[in-house]
Amino acid sequence: MSTTTTPPPGVSAQDLARLAEHWAERPTLRGWFSTVDHKKIGRRYLVTAGFFFVLAGLSALVMRTQLARPEAGVVSPQEYNQLFSMHGTAMIFLFATPMLFGFGNFLVPLMIGARDMAFPRLNAFGYWVFLFAGLFMWASLPFGAAPNNGWFAYAPLSEEQHNPGLHMDVYALGLLFLGISTTAASINFIVTALKLRAPGMSLNRVPLFVWAIVATAFMVIFALPALNADNAMLFLDRRFGTHFFDPSAGGNVLLWQHLFWIFGHPDVYIIVMPALGIVSAVLPAFTRRGVVGYPLIVLSIVSISIISFGVWVHHMFATGLPQLSYSFFSAASTIITIPSGIQIFAWLATMLLGRLVLRVPLLYVIGFVVTFVLGGFTGAMFAVTAFDQQVTDSYFVVAHFHYVLIGGAVFPMLAGIYYWLPKITGRMYHERLGRWAFWLVFAGMHVTFFPMHLYGLFGMPRRVYTYRSEPGWDGWNLVSTVGSYLLAVGLLLVLVGVVHALRRGRPAPPDPWEGDSLEWTTASPPEPYNFPVQPRVHSLHPAWDERTADSVGAGATADRILSDGRRTLITSELDAHPERAVQMPESTLMPLVLAGALLIFFTSMLLAWYPVAAVAALAVVATIAVWLWPPRRPDEELGVAR
Amino acid sequence: MTTRPGPHARLTGGLLLWYGVLGGAVAWGVHVFAAWGLDELACAAGSDHVAAVPLWQAVGLAVVIPGLFTVGSLLVAALVWRRTGRAGEEDRPFGRSRMLAVVGVWSNLLFLTIIVLGGVAVLVLPPCQG
Repeated sequence: MSTTTTPPPGVSAQDLARLAEHWAERPTLRGWFSTVDHKKIGRRYLVTAGFFFVLAGLSALVMRTQLARPEAGVVSPQEYNQLFSMHGTAMIFLFATPMLFGFGNFLVPLMIGARDMAFPRLNAFGYWVFLFAGLFMWASLPFGAAPNNGWFAYAPLSEEQHNPGLHMDVYALGLLFLGISTTAASINFIVTALKLRAPGMSLNRVPLFVWAIVATAFMVIFALPALNADNAMLFLDRRFGTHFFDPSAGGNVLLWQHLFWIFGHPDVYIIVMPALGIVSAVLPAFTRRGVVGYPLIVLSIVSISIISFGVWVHHMFATGLPQLSYSFFSAASTIITIPSGIQIFAWLATMLLGRLVLRVPLLYVIGFVVTFVLGGFTGAMFAVTAFDQQVTDSYFVVAHFHYVLIGGAVFPMLAGIYYWLPKITGRMYHERLGRWAFWLVFAGMHVTFFPMHLYGLFGMPRRVYTYRSEPGWDGWNLVSTVGSYLLAVGLLLVLVGVVHALRRGRPAPPDPWEGDSLEWTTASPPEPYNFPVQPRVHSLHPAWDERTADSVGAGATADRILSDGRRTLITSELDAHPERAVQMPESTLMPLVLAGALLIFFTSMLLAWYPVAAVAALAVVATIAVWLWPPRRPDEELGVAR
Repeated sequence: MTTRPGPHARLTGGLLLWYGVLGGAVAWGVHVFAAWGLDELACAAGSDHVAAVPLWQAVGLAVVIPGLFTVGSLLVAALVWRRTGRAGEEDRPFGRSRMLAVVGVWSNLLFLTIIVLGGVAVLVLPPCQG
């Protein structure tokens, strides 16, 4: 339901009626489960990832309560192990990436002037798999069977003989299950951005957020197989007695670390990159100018996404490899700070040269710059092998990556939530409530994590469920705990602000911020078909461009209205020349059924119900066959005939 | 309909452009895997030779060859950048190629720096020092 009307488009009432007929989905229970609309799926990603964030955040609060004073007994060591493992695993895999993919799902088609993602059913499938994989992992916690070996699950501690029970089976199978979703979403982003861009949107006119999402998707495609291989080998070792990580049988424990960090370090950028894209998307609206140095920011995005694959050994500087080997990775770890720095200076220059409009999204961007730079500074310190070896596995590391991930991902996400809330919900948020939330989150974050640098340098190791009273540890730990509650109150206010906007917010106009990208040229929230006319793009800032506006007004042509079906335009990869219109798939329950069959398969494998797993595997194959069975439609309708 | 760049700007499209944009990245990838792999495997086997070649020389080759490949890529990117200098705002293939050339020039410089730093390490550190 739109709360505002679309500006008069260059289409007739009949065209609008036909578009609504072809693209609208029925508001029934079946319609809810079978939707393939990228906006609904994007919203579901955001809400589900937010739910997992709350669970992981509550785990952190319990841990901080336990660590508030020495030798506390709030939780047992076994419970603490599960809490910190699920906290890290969920924040990385079930919150950060899916939340940013949620933004991508909602925004990428809108920003490039398309009517949906390239593969809408695959998109729905990705969401259901994400939801089920998340529930699969969290459901283990009440049973006392949650992962308990930290989020990077080092072998041999994760092997059966050192860690019996289902804990690490849940980890290995859960991440393998989730990997299906992440891979599917990444393929979809790449194809969507390469083939569905509006005519005229050549590579040098692609929004920076879309560049960031595409680079992230490529990183996922190349990085995730290493993690999947790792987890498959771990599960085989634990369940079927193979010896991939057992040196006594010719295996290698460092194999786990190499494969994990070949995935793990790119994953830092998989998390941060789309968030940096959000910053580049938010800034133009609140500085009243385009981001300075567009080609250099593209350079940063591309080069970071490549160099991030050559820095993984800096996570292994304490494993005794030859110094010369370290130096190759140390060089890359040092140089990768340059493209990161280019982006920071480009944003600072944008703020310096622009006219600042100090609303809540910009506050979060400024908070991001401050926090992320501090995290980046300690990150550069880790590139120095000698320093890294001194602080490995101490709270200094915990402080560093929380500065990077909260500063580099959570702050931009919060900026994005406030910035796009009007577009997503059709309602404006309460400005003063948003400001209160910002200051509480900002203060809470720094009060929690800055002291960790100190007691890390004073020698406190990470992942200890308690500690004896030591000089410099007790007081600073209490400060961290107080800060964590402050942070929680701030985040609670964010949630209150979103609910308040939904229930009482004033209706949002199509473009409340005078933004520069195409999503601001649609209604708030957008119609099911996104654009009555697919625009013809004439510049990097299409919403500020008269000629692009004209292209959807009097200059609209029938080949961009496409009201005779559920159709969208395909364009060339580099210069976005129109190629043809294609029929888009309609809603279906097939993605849900396939994800459900996979859930049964993974659950059966976890519980060693192998006959059930075999039946589930057959159901997966059968569902895929039905899904891919060629539809009985003429080639012209499908858009494959010229 | 696809608009193609004129004959005078053949460099703006095709494989040579992509060599200019991504050549340094590919070379650096080869450098990391070859240099690190040689060092790691030879030292793990307790040897400081690869076949009959001293290890530091083999690793040195894994620095020099990718380094030269990156220099070539840098030159191509710079050439494309010069030849697309007169791109009009509506000339999409030229505008796009020019942006890719800028990305190529700077990324090749970054990758060349990383490779050179690796080369310095080969000169300074004994290959198997733990």
